[in-house]
Formats: sequence, structure tokens, C-alpha cells
Amino acid sequence: MSTTPATVDRTSIDRTSLDQNSSRWERNVPVYGFPVVNGFFLGLSALILVAFVLSGYRELAGLGPVSGMNDAYGWGIWKTFNLMVLTALGSGAFAVGIAAWVFRRKRLHSLMRMALLTSFLAYACGLLLLGIDAGRPWNFYWIVFPWRWNMHSPLAEVAICMSIYAMIPLAVENIPPVLERLWYFDSRLRPGVEKIEKRLHYFFPWIIAAAYLLPGMHQSSLGALMLLAGERVHPLWQTPWLPVLYLGAATFMSFGCVAGTTMLCCLVWKRGMDMEVLDEAARITSWLIFGWLGLRLLDIVFRGALGTAFHFDRFAGVFWLEVVLILGGGWLLRRSLRYHDPRQMFVGYVISSAGGMIYRFSPTTLAFKPNPEALYFPATAEVLVSLGFISLGIVGFLIAVKRFAILPAPLQEWHNMANYFRFRRPYIRWTGYFKYGHFGENETESESESASAD
Amino acid sequence: MAITRRQLLTGIAKAGAPAALAVAVGTDVLHAGEPIPVPSAAVGLLYDATICIGCKACVAACAEANDTAPDTRGDALHQAPSDLNDLTRNVIKLYKPEDGSAFSFAKRQCMHCLDPACAAGCPFQALHKDPESGIVNWTADKCIGCRYCTITCPYHIPRFQWVGFNPRVTKCELCSHRLAKGLKPGCTSVCPTGAVIFGPRPVLLMDAKQRIKDNPGRYYQNRVYGEIDNGGTQALYLSRVPFEKLGLPELGAESVPARTLRWQRRFYQYFALPALLYAGLVQVIRKSLKGHEEEAHEREKETGLRAQL
Repeated sequence: MSTTPATVDRTSIDRTSLDQNSSRWERNVPVYGFPVVNGFFLGLSALILVAFVLSGYRELAGLGPVSGMNDAYGWGIWKTFNLMVLTALGSGAFAVGIAAWVFRRKRLHSLMRMALLTSFLAYACGLLLLGIDAGRPWNFYWIVFPWRWNMHSPLAEVAICMSIYAMIPLAVENIPPVLERLWYFDSRLRPGVEKIEKRLHYFFPWIIAAAYLLPGMHQSSLGALMLLAGERVHPLWQTPWLPVLYLGAATFMSFGCVAGTTMLCCLVWKRGMDMEVLDEAARITSWLIFGWLGLRLLDIVFRGALGTAFHFDRFAGVFWLEVVLILGGGWLLRRSLRYHDPRQMFVGYVISSAGGMIYRFSPTTLAFKPNPEALYFPATAEVLVSLGFISLGIVGFLIAVKRFAILPAPLQEWHNMANYFRFRRPYIRWTGYFKYGHFGENETESESESASAD
Repeated sequence: MAITRRQLLTGIAKAGAPAALAVAVGTDVLHAGEPIPVPSAAVGLLYDATICIGCKACVAACAEANDTAPDTRGDALHQAPSDLNDLTRNVIKLYKPEDGSAFSFAKRQCMHCLDPACAAGCPFQALHKDPESGIVNWTADKCIGCRYCTITCPYHIPRFQWVGFNPRVTKCELCSHRLAKGLKPGCTSVCPTGAVIFGPRPVLLMDAKQRIKDNPGRYYQNRVYGEIDNGGTQALYLSRVPFEKLGLPELGAESVPARTLRWQRRFYQYFALPALLYAGLVQVIRKSLKGHEEEAHEREKETGLRAQL
């Protein structure tokens, strides 16, 4: 954290000039000067390889030999953690998107590409693992026949809605950075790219609206899944409000994931932090946290389940751990706002998201007791596959931020990048990628050059 | 001139048809807690735990009738499954309290609920309640193996096959294939004491109530489990010990799906609310997008760098 300014004097920020010292996030800039392949990357790739091999074995041998799932706990961490918890962290495209597009928090637009990328990767990896977790995945083709759906099943809602969301609105929303790279890559591609962009922008309102409706539906239906389990879920968690609480947890967790990941990236790749944007995100997150906790506690009190929170058992322990983490995270976020301290803010995001993860994990696993003797602990192979599919998302993220303009940065960073490549990588100049980095001047120059040469 | 009989009848018909429709739709929406209709030809089982001698003949007969390999995994010799599993649709368990009070055998198989939670949760209708016989059947071609049924069933009946590349869900289907041939289910055809009998549900219910009447004080709470429990089931139970001890939880008269998914069902009714929400979102985002694009293009002119939308 020492490389980043602890505080930002807001009055010094000139909003329009290209002030070199400004840390105002103006533009998404690829991470340059760091190789994609390094030790960390290779380690993650090894985990992915192991996971793929084990998944292949699982397809042949069945779920039993590779997992700790049993008749009592039919769902293991592949579903309950990788899908139900990690897609909550990956709801950034939903939560940050609603704040930016629906409630018009304009400064949050600088976080949108991070939100869209993390969401896409979390959903894609979760759905891939869902395909491996499903015992008879070849029957998924029923998904294209709506009259075969069981419209009132929460699981059908989740499966259908999630796949549609990840494959259409979320994927389409992630196209602009790719098109942008093509646009800079070769000037001959530009007319085509601009044509596609125009068409894309025409459909954007419908796509973006779907990108908020669908996650709103399936993130709440994930909570509705456990409603049918009835009394087998501990009363501290089992409530008719489960869908609302699941959705609410996803909103503050995903804010934490997007802003926290962005801060971590800024730290690792030495980017300036825009405390104005981060403060706004932290303010929204803290209110989401307090609102959510209030609803959760009110629900417990009015259902008369508060007494069980004071029993000396693991359920009460999990409950208090969850409450303390989320409340502590919210308190740290409020505190960081007062001192503009990125360190407290980051810790606040991590802690509150961890608490949210425990909450999302509890109704299906920690607080689920099908019968008194039932036990579930994930097998080693199961954990390895789970880690491998998380690694897949991280690897995708590392490649994407180093190849596409995802991470927000001050405007100066864009010019630095152009300079870096001009002097350090002169051989890629002919592709025109950075030749046209400065929109306008260089391009007209080169066009006039070529015109004069003719 | 008075109204003729013909006018009267057509008038009633004209006013009555829409009214009946409105009542039918309206009650469906408003009174989710109404009694669930019993299928026209509902068949079922009546298990009287007080007669059962625990011989387990029904366990073997069930495996034979369903062409399942005997589950000898316990001691590699006897077919003695400890619980329902991927080879066992029907099992006899023993409840024997420590304090030496009354013990009881318990037969566990699918209850064939009138409003089954497994079918309510099943995403592609692989578990489906037959509208005539009321038997809850599993269709291999529609099952994606999500194991949600093992989570939702309040009696914990469907079991998943954990080993093998083509896993199946195992549950009692009331020997539908035998019923089609005019035979009785495997378990009822061998029971030496008549502890489990097969028949139409109303007949079984009458029989059970007659037994309670004939033997006052013999049965727990003098009631039949499954008459109204969980919205009613087609497998009916009589017992000396509390039903909970036999693995039959007290679920109340309302079925689990009706009780827990009420708001979920209302929200997605005809998909009206989500559609309305979507239309509103599109309008708001259209306006935001316009403002955002304008700002981005202004910024593009200021900085000389291509707008990133």
C-alpha cells in the first residue's frame, strides 16, 4: 500500500486538463510491461490441468469416487461454493451496473469493465463446473425447449436464467474491449469494427436491461432453492426472505469483489487509485451492508429464531462469525471514508465479502442438517477441481487485463503505455496498434504522409 | 312475459361460464393453501407398522420386481441394505428406543405425495406425477442429475447413484410396470402378514380408519399419516409409536411446495412482473445510455483519445 497515496487532496484535481499528477480514473488501459506468463500463472495453469484431468476421470467413474458427496448431502462444494458463492462475488455486472446505469452514479462507469469481466469469468467457470457436477449433463439439451421447463422450479429458473445471462447479455457486454483492441490493432479493420459497434450500441439498452433483470431473478432464486428443504435448514437461515437476502448479499459482495480486485490490481501493477470513485463505491457498499444486516436481524427477531443464536453450537458460531465479519467490514468501510484510507477500505471489502460468502455457503452446507448423523467434507479431488476452476477464472482475468483495456487508470497512463511500446517494442509499430494511440494527430499525420507518398 | 326455460338455461350458462373461469383462476391465485385434488385413479399403499414383523421379504421382492441387483454391500452375503440407496427402493428399518418402550418396524419407500416437492423442484420434469394414478415417476431422458430431488424431498426418498458414468435416480415408482400387467407391487405381493397392502387410495383410507375404530388406543394419535400430512400422500401409515420415529416428520396440512414457494410462484405468474420490470429498465437505460454516449464523445474531443464505452 506504500506506493499509493494515502490521501488525495480533491481540490488539486483538475477535471479537464491532462495533469500528470492526477489520479482520476479517466480511461481503461491494458496492463503493460508485465509478462502474462510468470510463476503464478504457471502454478494456476498446473491447477487447471489437474482439475481437467480429474473432471475427465469423474465423467467416467461418477461423482462418488472424486467427491465427498453422499445421500444426505447431495450437493457438494462444486455447486454450493463455486456456483452459489462465487457467482455472488461475480454479480458486479449486476450491482455496479445498476448503480451506474439505473441510478446514474456516473463515476462508477470507470469500474464497469472490471465488473463485467469478473462477472463473466465467475459465471462461466461456475457454469462449466455445474456441467461437470450434473450427473447426466447430456440431458441439458432440454433447456432449448421452453415447454419442457418446470416453470415453478427455482432450480430450473437458476439453470436457465444463468446460462442465458452468461451466454448472451454478459458476453455481449464484454465485446467492446475486444472490438477496441481490433480497432487499434490494424487501421484496415476500423470501418468493420465501427459498423459492428454501431449495431451493438443500437441493441445495448435491451441487452443491458436483460443483464439486470436476469441476475436479479436467478440470484434470488438461488436463495429460493433452499426454501423447499424446509426445516432441515437451521432456523437462523431458513426464512421466506431467503431469496431477498441472497440477492442483497450478492450486491454488497460483488461491490467488494469489483472494488477490492481493482484496488489489488492497482497495487500489484502500480496504478494510481482514484479515491473519488473508490469512496463512492465504499459508501454504496456500506449502506448495502447495513441495510442487509438490518433486514437479516429483523427477520430473525420477528420469526422468533433469535434464541437459537445464543445456543452453544456450531450454527450459532457460524452465525456470529458471519455477522461480525460483515458488520466489521461495513464499519471499516465507513471509517475508510472518513480518512480516505485505501488500506482500511480494502480490508473492509475483504472482510465483508468473506462474511457474505459464509452467509451464501451456510443454508446449503454449514447450516444444512438433513439428519443428525449426516456428515459432508469435500474430498481432496473435489477441492482440487474446485480450485482448478477458480484458477481458470483467475488465469482468464490475468490474460484479459494484460491484453485488453479493462483496468481503470489515470489518463496519463494511456500516454505512458503508448510511449512504452513506441520505444520498447518498436517492431510492433507497423501493425498500427500504437501508431494511432493518439487519436487524431498521428492518424491524420500518417494519412497525409501516405497521401503525399502517392 | 316471463322468462322461458330455454332463456333461463342459456342465461345461466352465459353468465356462469366466465364466472366459473374467474373463480377457477382466482382461487388458484389467491388460495394457494386449498386442499390439493386427489388424482382420479389414485392408488397407494397402506402400511400398518403394528402388524409388520420385519421379515424384509418386501425388500427382496422389491429388488426382484424392479430387476435390481441385490444390495449385498453390507456383509457381501445378505441382502441387508441399511437404508434406501441406489439399489434399494424399499427398506425395512427398526426403531428401538433405549428405554425399552414400544419398538416398531418402519417401511420406507416413496410416499407419492399429492403435491410432491421433488417434482416441484425438478427443472425439466424428470420427476413427474401421473395425473391419473398419481404415481411419481422418474424419466431418465429428462433427468440432468442435479440431485435437487434429494434435497427437496421431506422424506428423503430419491437416491442418486454415485458410481458410474450414467447415474440414475432410484425411487419407488409403485411398480408401474407391474400395475400395467395387472399385478400388484412387489412389496405388497409377498407380505406374509398384510402389513403393507395395495389399493385405491380412498379404499385404503377407509380401511385404515376402520382399523382405528376397531382398535381404539392401538394407534398413535388415532390417525392415519398421509391423509392430510404434507397436503396428503398416497402411501398411508398406521403406527403405534410417534410417526416422527418412523422417519415421517410432522409437516402440517399444507404441502411443502405450496407453503414455501408461494411468493416465488406469484412473482413468476404468467411472467407478468418480470416483463413489466424489464420494460421499465429498458426505458431508464435508454436515457442513461444517451447521456453517457454524449459525455464520452465530448471527452473524446477534449483528450483526442477514442471514447471507451
